[in-house]
Amino acid sequence: MAAEKALALLRSRLCDVSFAHGAFKSSPDSNYSKLKFIISNSIAEGCNNSVLLLGPRGSGKIAVVELALRDLSAEYPDMICMIRLNGLLHSDDNCGLKEIARQLCLEHQLIFSKMASSDDNSQFMLDMLRECGLAHKTIIFLLDEFDLFIQGKQRLLYSLLDAMQTLSSQAVVIGVSCRLDADKLLEKRVRSRFSHRKLLFVPPTTEDLKVLLNHVLYLPENSPFPSNYVKEFNSRIKSILGDKKFNEALNSLSDVDGTFSNVLRFLYQAVSYMDLASGLLTLQNFKSALLCTQKQPKLDIVKDASVLELYILVCMNRLETKEQNSYNFNSILKEYNAIHEAYKTSDHYSRTVCLRAYEHLLERELICFVDGKGRHLSTECRPVKLLISFSELCQGLKSNSSCPAILQKLLDRESFK
Amino acid sequence: MEATPSKSRPKPSPPAPQTPGSGLRRSLRLLCTPRTPIYNSDPSSPPKPAKQSKRSLLESLSFSTITPNPPESKRRKKSGPDYKIPKRKIYFKKVVYDGGEFEIGDDVYVKRKEDVESDDNYLEVEECRICFEVGISVMVECDDCLGGFHLNCLKPPLNKVPEGDWFCGYCEARKMGKVAELPKPPEGKKFKRTTKEKLLSSDLWAARIESLWKEPDGSYWLRCRWYIIPEETAAGRQPHNLRRELYRTNDIGNIEMESVIRHCYVMNPKDFFEANNEGDDVFYCEYEYDIHWHSFKRLAEIDDSEENDEGAGNDDEWKVPKDSDSHTYEDSEKEEDTAMGTKCQPHQVAANSRRGRVFGLQRIGTKRIPEHVRSHKQTELERAKAMLLLATLPKSLPCRNKEMDEITAFVKGAIYGDQCLGQCLYIHGVPGTGKTMSVLSVMRNLRSEVDAGTMRPYCFIEINGLKLATPENTYKVIYEALSGHRVGWKKALHYLNERFSKGIKVGKQTNHSCVLLIDELDVLLRRNQSVLYNVLDWLARPHSKLVIIGIANTMNLPEKLLHNIGSRAKNKSLCFGPYNYQQLQEIILTRLEGSGAFEEQAIEFASRKVAAMSGDVRRALEICRCAAELADHRLKQLPPTKKMTNNDNSAGKCLVGMADVESAIQEVLQEPHISIMKTGSRLSKIMLVSMVHELYKSGLSEITFDKLAATVSSLCSSNREAIPGWDTLLKVGCKLGECGIILCEESTRHKLQKLQLNVESDDVAFALKDCPELPWLSKYL
Repeated sequence: MAAEKALALLRSRLCDVSFAHGAFKSSPDSNYSKLKFIISNSIAEGCNNSVLLLGPRGSGKIAVVELALRDLSAEYPDMICMIRLNGLLHSDDNCGLKEIARQLCLEHQLIFSKMASSDDNSQFMLDMLRECGLAHKTIIFLLDEFDLFIQGKQRLLYSLLDAMQTLSSQAVVIGVSCRLDADKLLEKRVRSRFSHRKLLFVPPTTEDLKVLLNHVLYLPENSPFPSNYVKEFNSRIKSILGDKKFNEALNSLSDVDGTFSNVLRFLYQAVSYMDLASGLLTLQNFKSALLCTQKQPKLDIVKDASVLELYILVCMNRLETKEQNSYNFNSILKEYNAIHEAYKTSDHYSRTVCLRAYEHLLERELICFVDGKGRHLSTECRPVKLLISFSELCQGLKSNSSCPAILQKLLDRESFK
Repeated sequence: MEATPSKSRPKPSPPAPQTPGSGLRRSLRLLCTPRTPIYNSDPSSPPKPAKQSKRSLLESLSFSTITPNPPESKRRKKSGPDYKIPKRKIYFKKVVYDGGEFEIGDDVYVKRKEDVESDDNYLEVEECRICFEVGISVMVECDDCLGGFHLNCLKPPLNKVPEGDWFCGYCEARKMGKVAELPKPPEGKKFKRTTKEKLLSSDLWAARIESLWKEPDGSYWLRCRWYIIPEETAAGRQPHNLRRELYRTNDIGNIEMESVIRHCYVMNPKDFFEANNEGDDVFYCEYEYDIHWHSFKRLAEIDDSEENDEGAGNDDEWKVPKDSDSHTYEDSEKEEDTAMGTKCQPHQVAANSRRGRVFGLQRIGTKRIPEHVRSHKQTELERAKAMLLLATLPKSLPCRNKEMDEITAFVKGAIYGDQCLGQCLYIHGVPGTGKTMSVLSVMRNLRSEVDAGTMRPYCFIEINGLKLATPENTYKVIYEALSGHRVGWKKALHYLNERFSKGIKVGKQTNHSCVLLIDELDVLLRRNQSVLYNVLDWLARPHSKLVIIGIANTMNLPEKLLHNIGSRAKNKSLCFGPYNYQQLQEIILTRLEGSGAFEEQAIEFASRKVAAMSGDVRRALEICRCAAELADHRLKQLPPTKKMTNNDNSAGKCLVGMADVESAIQEVLQEPHISIMKTGSRLSKIMLVSMVHELYKSGLSEITFDKLAATVSSLCSSNREAIPGWDTLLKVGCKLGECGIILCEESTRHKLQKLQLNVESDDVAFALKDCPELPWLSKYL
């Protein structure tokens, strides 16, 4: 019972990104405190501001914004109004303005009309900015995928930022983007109106990771769980965190991608492997979680491929090493028959069976059509390309248990050429 | 409208008469009630007792409005038509009633209706709280209970009115927790309250006159907007409310002139703190209170509302809102019955539609006025930040005098005289050089000249190309500005063509000359240049009376136009060059005048840096503001004990120094990709280095993923690193692609994917040359 509850608690923590980022709340140099300071400045002093949050995906940009806003709306109840836009949905200027108007109406219980023209909507936005400024309400525009707003004429950004510096309202424009050069892509008059405050989100350092793990994994002392269970759980976690092998696993994880979201995903996986009978985490849980993150999908497909499919892949590889740049199913079949002739293999299949295997490979995206050419041709005649590399193919063949020896030999010979 | 004797624009209310007394006691704290000496409503009135505090003495107590036959005592001041049409309301701008002059826009005390007993006279002169005599000697007002005291009635007596806040002994005792009763009035004498006190204890009302008229039966009426005292609001009196604070409501009522008592003065914060001679009837009003939604809203800046009034007044004849049948757009702008209107109307207007903007936005307001807004005292840094905001308009605009003179000369020359031949001025310059600002300030100056009567009236239309949905909307906006009606753009174009070529009137008023400001002109330029062609073509029409000022960034816009359009635009052009560092410095210094938050050197550093980059004044201001923000952040992060000592120390010296400006510039100019490359994962570093390595080897900027992966694994194997799988590498590549460090095709192409560095290879070398965890990388750079 306690184990299930503990598992639920850990899972809910790991899913809530803002909880994880709460670990860095107190440090004055964290992005959280900087962002909170900027927004609270705007609220308290009644001024406009704009800020850009940059960082790779999964580094917790939105999470920090949410966290800061949650705290601020507790601090200043009823004075903050959020408008959320996403570049993927609202990069079109008219559509963006309409969405702003819709959300403004929704927040203030006003009636929204879909029919209003874009001019009306932009005028409405200006009016609302002014009125909310008079009522000491802060409007926060959160523009996710900021780089996508930059396509086109940037009318939306221009009218937003222009309003920022002509009206004495209180609004904050927060742009969130993973493109590091997002502000360079702005048009020059839009850029001139932008305030150029930038917060950079970088992947956590090892110390940060330690803080994060301590924050997330330990069970709280004063909790509904039985105290001896908490004690044992926490001492177990302590020994795991101190273990050399665990740190190695963590390093190999962050060698690939050390962002917050990736680490959290890894931890979630590990926690899910927890043995419910004992209710304790073991090092093995983390190890198997690491294996999950290191999956190589292409190799796995080759590993599970049928013998005929392997033949086709090897034939294609042979054709490519012969520097035949353009080949199609027919030439592959010719090569296949040639191998069959030369080595008298037992695996000979008819053309239709081969075609089915070929189509299967296309579906798995191990091979693909060369685009742009012969779109009108039938499957057999369209030129194709191999999508996996030679070394992957070698590894795959080795790990495939049903792979005929002749294929290995053919491939080995190729590598010597 | 019929019978419109008075022209719209309400004049500023007459300045209150000067007081003979001097040496008033004004508390120095900003948020205190200004105490003012006598309000003398009539210079010829008997000499007043030399009383220090306010209290105006009215000469006639007959003012108590029981005058049975008003018409005799009234005369029309500024009357319109002399003929009188019966059965019709006649509107006035100013009415003299019972010896008092009442004008639209004045604030008055109003009797409560149930208030039958009419508490004898409405006392003007306050009695001393101790001796209950009016007396001749100087009185002082307590800043808490607002009671008046003779200086020599106090214990100990005061010689002169003290500086700063003063609280009477009773209030101080009450604050200490003691019970202190004010002395009871002597037997047989009732303590008389002044009008102000009655108002503040909600025995009276205050109201602002919106319009005045005479009914057909001869009685005088006025339409007024009520004021409300904080106690009567839903939120009650809030701790930060001032003693003399009132709220303006959106409640409007019609009352008879008889119930008006006399003038009072309700002022906006700025006037209130500057006021020193208006007497006892001065009130403070910063917020508007919505009686339906019980919410507060700051009153808009006074200049704004005046402008609106002006606009409404000039555009259409003075319309007195009748009942709801004449609900045109202009009418509703006067905010009549709007809240009621939306409530009663069966189908409600959407807020973002055109009419809804007027009705719907009433609902926005705070339920309570937040504490921090009122009671927070600005620190020096915060004041500096507010002054540096782009949205705050500075008092003076330095460094563009020459250009502004030129624009003024151009506009004046163009609309001088009757003919007003079409002229066009093209203004160009990089962003942030004050183009729009200069034009707008020129227009403001000219506006005041028009108001003063030294210039012919003209209408001014402002268009921003980037704020229009399509270029064709230009016609719509121009037509709407000219006529007040909304039509489709084709129709608008038709009407405008007629107006400019044949002189057919648009709207009601005569065709003034028209100054058209088109900001961001280059956006109107599409492949089909019809919009610009039409607009510029109007210039040459016989009745155009049109002056066009176009603003854009590019210098060669007239050359980009088609030949026949360009020839029309090539009239005259004015270049706004980027600011040099002295100019930037001057601009920042004028903004920061009176604030000692910045080190002079720091400002010079910032302006030199910006001048070297772009000469964009916005950028310079933002850098300074950012520096101030950083300094503020730094100070506020300090623990409170340290902060105290720090504040004491830094009282004399500047708060924002070179270091802050330096770090602000760092933030503005930082290259995020370098720090991302530095902090990236191990594999991404290896991948970037192998890309650079391949680039050096082959000289081609593009590389296929297949080849890159082979390079990465050969690098790894020769440096004893674990060789990563290709799928892992692909993942890392995608991450880099998302950040914009490399450009890549979509990842479904797998090994055929082409990759390319999106940053300088030198940057990669700089970032990864001495990487502590992978020292071998420098071999390949």
